[in-house]
Amino acid sequence: MYGAKGKIDLAFEYQSQVAVLRPSIHSRRANLTVKFQDLYGFTVEGNVDDVNVMNEVREKVRQQGRVWWALEASKGANWYLHTVIGQGNALKSSLKFSALANALTLKKIIRKGIPPVLRPKVWFSLSGAAKKKSTVPDSYYDDLTKAVEGKVTPATRQIDHDLPRTFPGHPWLDTPEGHAALRRVLVVYSFRDSDVGYCQGLNYVAALLLLVMKTEEEAFWMLAVLLENVLVSDCYTNNLSGCHVEQRVFKDLLSKKCPRIASHLESLEFDVSLVTTEWFLCLFSKSLPSETTLRVWDVIFYEGAQVMFNVALAIFKMKEDELLLTHHVGEVINILQRTTHHLFDPDDLLTVAFDKIGSMTTNTISKQRKKQEPEVMKELDERIRRLESFKMEDK
Amino acid sequence: MATIGHNNLNAKLVLLGDMGAGKSSLVLRFVKGQFLEFQESTIGAAFFSQTLAVNDATVKFEIWDTAGQERYHSLAPMYYRGAAAAIIVYDITTPDSFTRAKKWVQELQKQGNPNMVMALAGNKADLEDKRQVTADEARVYAEENGLFFMETSAKTAANVNDIFYEIAKRLPRAQPAQNPAGMVLVDRPAEGSRAAASCCS
Ligand SMILES: Nc1nc2c(ncn2[C@@H]2O[C@H](COP(=O)(O)OP(=O)(O)OP(=O)(O)O)[C@@H](O)[C@H]2O)c(=O)[nH]1
Ligand SMILES: [Mg+2]
Repeated sequence: MYGAKGKIDLAFEYQSQVAVLRPSIHSRRANLTVKFQDLYGFTVEGNVDDVNVMNEVREKVRQQGRVWWALEASKGANWYLHTVIGQGNALKSSLKFSALANALTLKKIIRKGIPPVLRPKVWFSLSGAAKKKSTVPDSYYDDLTKAVEGKVTPATRQIDHDLPRTFPGHPWLDTPEGHAALRRVLVVYSFRDSDVGYCQGLNYVAALLLLVMKTEEEAFWMLAVLLENVLVSDCYTNNLSGCHVEQRVFKDLLSKKCPRIASHLESLEFDVSLVTTEWFLCLFSKSLPSETTLRVWDVIFYEGAQVMFNVALAIFKMKEDELLLTHHVGEVINILQRTTHHLFDPDDLLTVAFDKIGSMTTNTISKQRKKQEPEVMKELDERIRRLESFKMEDK
Repeated sequence: MATIGHNNLNAKLVLLGDMGAGKSSLVLRFVKGQFLEFQESTIGAAFFSQTLAVNDATVKFEIWDTAGQERYHSLAPMYYRGAAAAIIVYDITTPDSFTRAKKWVQELQKQGNPNMVMALAGNKADLEDKRQVTADEARVYAEENGLFFMETSAKTAANVNDIFYEIAKRLPRAQPAQNPAGMVLVDRPAEGSRAAASCCS
């Protein structure tokens, strides 16, 4: 009826439809740019090397699937659904050894990637979305969908405006059916949390959640758990204060973890937030190729939002040598854009993110956030006051 | 056309305006000569660069195309800080976007670089039958506030290059000491008396 329970069986259709791409000898010679569809149906442009990488990634995804099936065979079906990792790995000592071993195995294989077919089930359970959903009546989403139908608010107007502007050209998202599903998820959420309402950026996040989860209702709960439990609060409300906090924490981390890059960029008067704000607000969905984005999300939903710092730092780290040679803001941005758009192999990024950046515990990150919060609030307040005073002057 | 190597200028330019007014579309038209019926909504901001030859100088624009939704307002200072020029965009079919444009002008006047060249763009001029903001109203406002005004259409390309070109001409040039003798310099518009050109009529 509302399509809430209707399956969106698309992401995986693509996988079977898209034949393995074989760059022709001609394109190889000419080093032409080719357009192709990735695992989730997005059209990407790349050269022959990129096509080869994509094919390797497809193969790695299949192999990783075999790893998951093998574990299932040895540990029992759905073993991972009962393995809960404590915040910041602070596992209770009372936990049985086998549970501890499972948690570590799970952390490791999640960092290696969740196979796309298992993603909906694993995300839904490990992120806490299933638990969140279980606290309300089963019909919650359908009821809310019905209740808000036909209502017009500033949020719904902005959502309507953004529907055709969310991954335009995608073979499912950019269809009447896709628009309708995305609309319901965003509109229902805007009524669930009127402080958030609708914030641009959520359209991309929700769209990707729909593609992965394949049912609207599960996409909705994933969005809810993401905004309410996984990310820092107020990332998308009012003046995006949470986002400002994350940006400041990130700048501190960059100076600590990549001091040479940080001081070089400072000498160019380049504020990294110019670029990283979008990464954080869209959880990389507008910058990284889809499978790479979702590999990042695999880890976010299990380990937490601080993973975004690892990933963002890794992008800078990977290009350290090039970045140190830049003389101009434009060059820096071009390097970062080129890098993110071509990160077709998620492992290239995640290896750096976890092996080279070093671990940052949830604890240290929360301390950093606490430290920045009052300063962000002060700055935002001052800004508002200044703007108000202009209005007074003009009267 | 020959360009004189030592007369290059880098200029940071920022686009501000309501969500959906057509900021990204204007930039895309100017930088790539394209128009998309459905342009992705901008989050944070997007960066582009484009070089223009003006008289015997070249101006390299570093363009920040910002996000229009109201709550992104708190990010804007990061993008307009140090900008040499700004294009404030509204959509001629939505009065609210014009109101929003005026707020941006006010903010830039108080907080922006005092020598900033400001342009007001009434975009979507191709949608004449849906017009809700008259060109006269906008022109009067622009004159009063020392901006120059053009109506543009990213769709038909009308006035798009022109608005960037006009900005390039008005940018304060480098210190005279760095310029070769006899260089024709475009007049630096004096504060407060920036003549408003009504280039669109
Ligand atoms: N008819 C017409 N449509 C336009 C014109 N310029 C932009 N549009 C359309 O208006 C919509 C919004 O344009 P954008 O360029 O994305 O607007 P924006 O100001 O960048 O919006 P945000 O990124 O959300 O702040 C798109 O669907 C464009 O195709 C124009 O000159 N004429
Ligand atoms: Mg835009």
